[in-house]
Amino acid sequence: MARLFLLILFTLSASLAWAGPTLTVYTYPSFVSEWGPGPAVKQAFEAQCNCTLNFVALDSSVAILHRLRLEGESSPADVVLGLDASIMADARKTGLLAPHDIDTSSLNLPIEWQDDTFVPYDWGYFAFVYDTQQLSDPPTSLDGLINAPDDLKIIIEDPRTSTPGLGLLLWMRKVYGDQAPAKWQALQKHILTVTKGWSDAYFSLFMNGEAPMVLSYSTSPAYHMAVDKTDRYQAAAFDEGHYLQVEVAARLRNSPHPELARQFLAFMLTPAFQREIPLKNVMYPATDLGDELPDVFNRLIEPARTLYFDPQTVADHRKAWIDEWLNATAQ
Amino acid sequence: MTPPFSHPRWRAWPGRAVTLLLVGIVAAGFSGLLAEWQWQAVSDLWQSAYLRQVIWFSVYQATLSTGLSLLLAIPVARALHRHPRFAGRALLLRLTELSLVLPTIVAAFALVAVYGRSGWLNTALGWLGLPFRWNLYGLQGILLAHVFFNAPLAARILLQGLERIPANQWRMAAQLGLTSGPLWRNLEWPALRRVLPGLAVFIFILCFTSFAIVMTLGGGPRATTIEVAIYQSLRYEFDFGRAALLAMVQLLICGALWLVASRQGSTRSLVPGSHEQSGTRRRDARPRDRLLLQLFLAFLALPLLAVVVRGLPGLLGEAGQGQLWWSLARSLSVATIAAFLSCTCGLAILAASQSARQGGRRLMARLLESSGHLTLLVPALVLGTGLFILLRPQLGQTHQGLALVAMINALMALPFVLQVLRGPFATLPPNSLRVADQLNLRGSYRLRFLLLPLLRRPLLLAAAYAAGLSLGDFSVIALFGSPSAPTLPLLLFQQLSAYRIEAASGTAFVMLILLFVVFYILNHWGDRRRHLRAPNRLTTGARVHA
Repeated sequence: MARLFLLILFTLSASLAWAGPTLTVYTYPSFVSEWGPGPAVKQAFEAQCNCTLNFVALDSSVAILHRLRLEGESSPADVVLGLDASIMADARKTGLLAPHDIDTSSLNLPIEWQDDTFVPYDWGYFAFVYDTQQLSDPPTSLDGLINAPDDLKIIIEDPRTSTPGLGLLLWMRKVYGDQAPAKWQALQKHILTVTKGWSDAYFSLFMNGEAPMVLSYSTSPAYHMAVDKTDRYQAAAFDEGHYLQVEVAARLRNSPHPELARQFLAFMLTPAFQREIPLKNVMYPATDLGDELPDVFNRLIEPARTLYFDPQTVADHRKAWIDEWLNATAQ
Repeated sequence: MTPPFSHPRWRAWPGRAVTLLLVGIVAAGFSGLLAEWQWQAVSDLWQSAYLRQVIWFSVYQATLSTGLSLLLAIPVARALHRHPRFAGRALLLRLTELSLVLPTIVAAFALVAVYGRSGWLNTALGWLGLPFRWNLYGLQGILLAHVFFNAPLAARILLQGLERIPANQWRMAAQLGLTSGPLWRNLEWPALRRVLPGLAVFIFILCFTSFAIVMTLGGGPRATTIEVAIYQSLRYEFDFGRAALLAMVQLLICGALWLVASRQGSTRSLVPGSHEQSGTRRRDARPRDRLLLQLFLAFLALPLLAVVVRGLPGLLGEAGQGQLWWSLARSLSVATIAAFLSCTCGLAILAASQSARQGGRRLMARLLESSGHLTLLVPALVLGTGLFILLRPQLGQTHQGLALVAMINALMALPFVLQVLRGPFATLPPNSLRVADQLNLRGSYRLRFLLLPLLRRPLLLAAAYAAGLSLGDFSVIALFGSPSAPTLPLLLFQQLSAYRIEAASGTAFVMLILLFVVFYILNHWGDRRRHLRAPNRLTTGARVHA
């Protein structure tokens, strides 16, 4: 029996070896789902790399960082894709990541990007998306949302487990400073539920009509307009401005395939990868796609101001701000 | 010639070693976290409004869940006892056994399908034109799920309590023409009163440490339990000190309750055994009992039916995918090892504690048995993370991770295994024991020719529970398992979070079927009388009660 098992194991590993090296990429679930960019990216990259691209979906982008920390030097990942700027500094501190060594001059972001480790692959603004059939007159500012009638319900994500959740935390902090905890308490009556991740909030609850507003991205309506052919879901533009999210990838220092990992990071900034971003990851591409950018992206809200904390500030205060939030919302 | 392993030490030491191992692993788990301990973190307990709320909510929801479960379970148990020939009785009893091992992640999925926003209940309400919409998220969802899990378990244990009332008492009551009220006061309540405190504490602990349910149906910081807070600290904040602190609060609260209940001796037989008495219909049986049982059966079966209805198409779509079958193979191998380990450890502990008791060392005996219940009180996640931190440098291979998962699963199942085995082990038929002693049947021969045949049914049942718990394990595998080589629960979780609902339904369905099959096979195997071989003569005349 044991011999048979070994034989099977041997055949399996042998057949894997035939397929060239395997590049293991840790990412979040929506990236690899059927409607996400994962499948197309895998196909395009495998066509040029003579390797197998293996996406491993962890439960959220925050979970990617924590998996890395737990696994340490023995992590089987070669590349992590899906961290965002607010957890970048923590990821750098693990010492597990290597400089990207690629040319990033083609980047086209609302902010200046200088970083030797992290390569942005898309960006977007956090925004509240509302259902026009349930809500004809959405709030036009954070203040307006906080002071809206009590029966306006929103669904948000938990800042400990989800990047949009953390994004709202930083957004509130940027706008209200030390007043943020008091404002969270005032917002409390509008929060129907706090979900662990974006998919739960958006698909399981919002799309099923559970609440008229959900914390998501300013780009979310693009998907509905282009793919579902409906204008029903729109993002509410807030006067205070919107918080910016930049999603990044990096390669691991201990990867046995450093060259392949570098090749993947460079591939991320080519049109073959970037053109899958707008409608499949529903974010702005990190490079200028020119005519290839779908038309619906010109019909999205344009934030009055771009709100952004530098990664180090977020790393220094994240725990304190999350504790503030917990204490303000647990009552 | 003396049989192998027949030295008296072989009775006491394996159990003691298991106990030492258990205490050692729990201590190691804690110390892994305590390495990052800071004393000032203790003051968080009263300074942080969040932690106060978490502790308060854990107690509050567990108390409510326990109360509601028992309130429903008592009339159901009475009705079941009054109607021994109720049409769905066999199915109902199978479901009550399963409820203890039904993976919470499958149950949460099933409950959402029935009671969720676009679930069956709201659809039905919509058809009826009722404006009312049931909202599953928050306290009400948690309570519903906890009652779904614990009311059947409670009903089953209470039914066993009722069945222990001697037949002659029923006959006497019948001759006296006692009606429902006096029957309750004179027969049923005294019988239930002996089991209730232990049962209540047991259910309280299960609800208090509830994880996946609260995680899925909770709805944010306001409805967070200690166990979920521990998970958040470990998985997302990397705050090991806080996790250890919370784990200790949980250990203190649950441990104190368990001690109180076990002092009264009412923590025995809290897991359904496999015996079924078929009595006659009681005279106080009423039609409305039947209605209650039918409703209860629907309450249990509908969510499972939802898993089947939603799962079939998903399974057909996924059947061609290797991932599902690989996950199934991984789950099965982990569960098999866990069940074997757990039963072996359980037997060892019982043998050691019995030998300690016979030697007059009652304290030692109690210590040995309570060590087996430690894992009921210490979160799997705390053990897991502590060990993960300690073992990290050596980890790396998937199969090493899986071996660890099997081991921790075995320890997690130990409290349940002990519950199933303890009764039968303590009441082995005295004449068989006498014959065995006269034949000088000791050591491995005693195990093979006396214990294994006599304990066959309870052992297989215990194995079924251990395997079932391991098959549904999510918290340990989430740490040690590799995301690229998932077991079934991990695969289900990945599919759910990638919003591949169709595929997830298929996986949930496979898990459910697997549990049914495991329970059916092990029960069936346990029932089959073996061909009489020489050693089985020892058991003649002794019917085994599990």
